[in-house]
Amino acid sequence: MNMRIPILKLGDILIVSIQWELDDQNAIQFQEDLLNRLHSKNARGVLIDLTPIDFIDSFIAKVLGDVINMSSLMGAKVVITGIQPAVAITLIELGIRLENVMTALDLENGLDKLQIELEA
Amino acid sequence: MNKKMAKCIHENLDSILERWEYRMKDVEEERFFHFMPDELIDKTSREFAELMTSNLQYSEAINPEKLADFTEKVVRFGWSIKFVNKSIENFSDITFEIMEEEGVIDQSNVREYMKTFSKWISPHRNSIIDAYAVEWERTVKLQRIALQELSASLIPVFEKISVMPLVGTIDTERAKLIMENILDGVVKQRAEVVLLDITGVPVVDTMVAHHIIQAADAVRLIGAKCMLVGIRPEIAQTIVALGIELKDFTTTSTLQRGMQEALKLTNRKIVEVEN
Repeated sequence: MNMRIPILKLGDILIVSIQWELDDQNAIQFQEDLLNRLHSKNARGVLIDLTPIDFIDSFIAKVLGDVINMSSLMGAKVVITGIQPAVAITLIELGIRLENVMTALDLENGLDKLQIELEA
Repeated sequence: MNKKMAKCIHENLDSILERWEYRMKDVEEERFFHFMPDELIDKTSREFAELMTSNLQYSEAINPEKLADFTEKVVRFGWSIKFVNKSIENFSDITFEIMEEEGVIDQSNVREYMKTFSKWISPHRNSIIDAYAVEWERTVKLQRIALQELSASLIPVFEKISVMPLVGTIDTERAKLIMENILDGVVKQRAEVVLLDITGVPVVDTMVAHHIIQAADAVRLIGAKCMLVGIRPEIAQTIVALGIELKDFTTTSTLQRGMQEALKLTNRKIVEVEN
């Protein structure tokens, strides 16, 4: 089964809501899709919402980190929203600090932060 | 032999207890016999003697319920394990003396007596000490739970601002609890700024700092900001002396100043109302 993750465009922001636990292949697929979209739509911001995810493994975490770095390379600001406490603990324990990423509690806050960041 | 011994102990119970109490009073660091009312001492001593002689009369294992009752009581009275051990030792010594005085034991049956005696005392000592250890562990566990309930709660102070006051030493287990409580609290209270108040933490070493940094990182991941407040001069000195990097997050000396910063971060301020 190859379920692609929907990537929505809102103004010059791309919104991605990850609704189910990704397997390795899906994660790579997602990375390619997002970067292609970013290029074709010329978006300036990306919001990735992880609210429904309550488990994350080291590979997915790495892919996520990579996607963030790649997006910033392509000139887009990234904000991650809705990381669950358990996921945060896992990430910290894996030593993945996602240092230069904006984070927000939920979609609403995330959009606000991104908006402010893009206007600046 | 057993019956003879039991009879003798039973008849001389008062004098045994008298001597026993007298000797127990001499044990160092013992508060029980000095501060408790006499009736209570007498009652407890009698219970102890009853427990000690119970398996002699019926030649069976000690009644586990009675044993548990007794150990629970002595743990509450603060008897140390050393003291319990000493009690058993003294008790057996005294019974031996008394039986010798009463003529129950003489040259001819001392060997047989020793056999019975060791069969009597050793399992007894084991089961009492076992029961004591179990009771003690239970007490410690209950206290730990009580302590956990007291520590590490995230308090919503203003909208978007929560405070977690930390009091007492932080170990790895507690650090985990703190982290979980902060993260769950932030999500539940929708806090944007969390003030971690370490005024009540006596020592901040590399381990504690590591845990705090981890917690702050995790808080950042879920989309809030963590500030470290209540850094006392000596804490600041140790942090710098140990070379711990806290550059990544805001730190202030008092909760008050931290709160001002937090309000600034959330674009608010406190103003005085005009009369």
